Amino acid sequence: MNKSVLYILRRFGFYLIAAFAALTLNFIIPRLMPGDPASIIFARFKGKLKPEAINAMRESFGLTNDPILVQYTSYLKGIFQGELGTSIAYFPEPVSEIIGRGLYWTIFLAGSSMIIAFTIGTTLGIIIAWNRTGKLDTFLPPALAFFGAFPYFWLAMVFLYIFGFSMNWFPIGRAYGGEINPGLNLPFLLSALYHAFLPALTLVFVSLGGWMLSMRNTMISTLGSDYITFANAKGIPSRLIMLRYAARNAILPNLTGFGMALGFMLSGALLTEMIFSYPGQGFLLLQAVTSQDYPLMQGIFMTITFAVLGANWLVDIAILFLDPRTRK
Amino acid sequence: MQKIISKFFILLFVLYLSCENKTIRDKEGLIVYQENQISWVRNFEPLNPVSIPRWPTRGGIYESLYLNNPITTDWVPWLATNYKWENNNKKLLFTIRPNVQWSDGKPFSAHDVAYTLNLWNQYSALDTRNAWEYLKSVVAISDTLVQIDFKRIYVPGFEAIAGAPIIPKHIWKELEDPLDFSNPDPVGTGPFTEILRFNTQVWELGKNHNYWQKGKPYVEKLIFPTFSTNEQTTLALLSGKLDWAGAFIPAIQRIFVDKDPEHHHYWFRNTGHSTFLHTNTKDPILKDSNVRKAISYAINREQVVKVGMYDYTKPAHVTSLSGPMAKWHSPEINDKENWTAFNLEKANELLDNAGYRWKNEKERIDANGLPIKFDIIVVSGWSDWVRSAQVISQNLKKIGIKATVRTYDFGAWIVRMQQGKFQMAIGWADKGSTPYNFFKGMMFSEYVKPIGETADINWHRFGIKEADSLIKEFEQTSDPKKMENIIYKLQHLFIEHAPGIPLFTELSWAECNSKYFTNFPNAENPYGPLSPNESGVALTLLNVKKR
Repeated sequence: MNKSVLYILRRFGFYLIAAFAALTLNFIIPRLMPGDPASIIFARFKGKLKPEAINAMRESFGLTNDPILVQYTSYLKGIFQGELGTSIAYFPEPVSEIIGRGLYWTIFLAGSSMIIAFTIGTTLGIIIAWNRTGKLDTFLPPALAFFGAFPYFWLAMVFLYIFGFSMNWFPIGRAYGGEINPGLNLPFLLSALYHAFLPALTLVFVSLGGWMLSMRNTMISTLGSDYITFANAKGIPSRLIMLRYAARNAILPNLTGFGMALGFMLSGALLTEMIFSYPGQGFLLLQAVTSQDYPLMQGIFMTITFAVLGANWLVDIAILFLDPRTRK
Repeated sequence: MQKIISKFFILLFVLYLSCENKTIRDKEGLIVYQENQISWVRNFEPLNPVSIPRWPTRGGIYESLYLNNPITTDWVPWLATNYKWENNNKKLLFTIRPNVQWSDGKPFSAHDVAYTLNLWNQYSALDTRNAWEYLKSVVAISDTLVQIDFKRIYVPGFEAIAGAPIIPKHIWKELEDPLDFSNPDPVGTGPFTEILRFNTQVWELGKNHNYWQKGKPYVEKLIFPTFSTNEQTTLALLSGKLDWAGAFIPAIQRIFVDKDPEHHHYWFRNTGHSTFLHTNTKDPILKDSNVRKAISYAINREQVVKVGMYDYTKPAHVTSLSGPMAKWHSPEINDKENWTAFNLEKANELLDNAGYRWKNEKERIDANGLPIKFDIIVVSGWSDWVRSAQVISQNLKKIGIKATVRTYDFGAWIVRMQQGKFQMAIGWADKGSTPYNFFKGMMFSEYVKPIGETADINWHRFGIKEADSLIKEFEQTSDPKKMENIIYKLQHLFIEHAPGIPLFTELSWAECNSKYFTNFPNAENPYGPLSPNESGVALTLLNVKKR
């Protein structure tokens, strides 16, 4: 077990260095973008603003002409104090508050649909690989690959149009009903679930195939291993072989993929959020990029970075328990 | 497995029932869409140019001394009842409307007006019109009279002052830092002032029961749900979950109107101004006005409008002014050269005379034998303008000019425009309630900056002395007859020099669903703008009625 702790700590150290590198990139990249925020605001007013006002605005935005190193240290200092600055697109609101508001909707929508897609997809993958001449195996993989190949935004719009607009089964936008005041009450929770259903369905629908296919493929190669044949020969119940012997080994690549996907989920739900008017991170990111809102952009990239690294560290720990080889 | 599935569907059904009755719309409130947003920020600060307050903070919650009606372009007395220029146009007096109250019951007076204007002086970041460059002092002489003294004569300063939102002194004077104020609970003089409900998904603005126009507004409240895309907005309009919107909808007749012609209406009103093909007049080839005119002659505007703009708009007038601005047309306008008419022969003739010869029937070359090539830069994603640029590029091929369409992200595009690092570009021009702003932006030489330096106006870098003196003369006069004459002369200069190429008229997008509310303005009853994005929208807010 000592070795395991060492392993976890070593991975943690690695992620710490990765986090530092990512934070530095996060500082540099927005500054390489063409155009500075003040001149974008200039343009928004189509010539009604004069330079005197612009300078005062720069100050109130906290945009300075300090040397880049000074900016960098104050940026790092800000991060450790949880101070992400004031947003430009949503002036004068602090970035941390804006992100905080969008984040939990994204985690709720994209997170739950990812877990659902992963669970269903992996389970289906196990089942169809086990019965790989069955009807499910001939039908499901091509069907899901077919739907997965559609452009996502198109599929989501079709869902929105058919189920939301034409049939009027589901709301066509937003995260909860207009009449409901958010809080911990049943109508709000039901309304939130009801509103999330259609966007979540589209997300599950397109990502299901990927999980299922990769699980099926590793599962099939695992099933060809000698130890499976040996386990069969020993007369171990087939259900046990399927889950404890084959699936446990075959799931490792999928689990790593899950860790990666968890991070991308924070930005990847952009299209879903646009199409369903869902108040999450993705739309914020778009807004931040189009209005050169450096503080907001940096804040969002930072949450994404930390989410990817954190999720991967957790996956490393999970693999430690699933795969004894990593413990040596 | 089947049990699980059936349970799942039962759960779904329960969810559906529990929510069904709550999605029924509130018929008391006018549901409005004005901007794409995914969660609302509670900001009702009208002064700071960098803050983006919730609509209709400027105009609906806070009002101005005069209201600019975009249909007639007149200034309508609003919080002021009268104004007067004195002392040879160096002193401006406003008579303030009596018996107006702030929504908290406190009386509104000339002191609030003077306080607002003086606040711009104290915090230059709030002076969005740079008014204190020409203002000397602002004093409230009595409760109903404001006296404004000017450092120098500058008559257009009237618009900056008359159109500015007036804020209550008794609230703002308590603030520590008005630059860092988001004004969550506004107190205004406007028709709608009560925040009834505010959460990130939807907010409601109730009517001001103290409003000075007795009996108005007719609508109890405005409701603002979030909409993130135009598709969302269109679906909501169609399903009656949205009453009034300022959105662009393609093929609107088929998609929207035909679904319910009785209730579904749109009014894409000509604002009087034009979208431009800007030409960099510092470019060695484009500096010749004959080349610019040749390019203009070669553009088939009917085709541009059809392919690029869904046939919604019309080809531009040679002065760029049309619709409500057409009243400024010079009486001699029909005798002047009309280089916005499609005429390939004329275009070729101009290029031949300018010394650009044909080479192998395909392209024209300059004196050094180099082919004539330009880039047209457009903002990526502004698909109507991108398509228009593509049509123009095709058109110019016919006169031997190779124009390549390049798209840039808005930030990159605006930097190129401001620094003059472009050859041709599709963009807007400056505008105002008179053509003065437009001509000043087009031809005032003091605005011309060297290439590489940021210019917020006059990206095409054109200026001539004759225009300068006319513009300065205009700024000194408050006599309507004189103003007209100066504008005529400026038009003649514009036609002579072609500093920019007007393409097509600029429209404001607006549609309404009159199922629950009625008396929206339209072309037959143009009492106000239908687009919530236009100035003077208070006229509409005051007159829409519940059915």
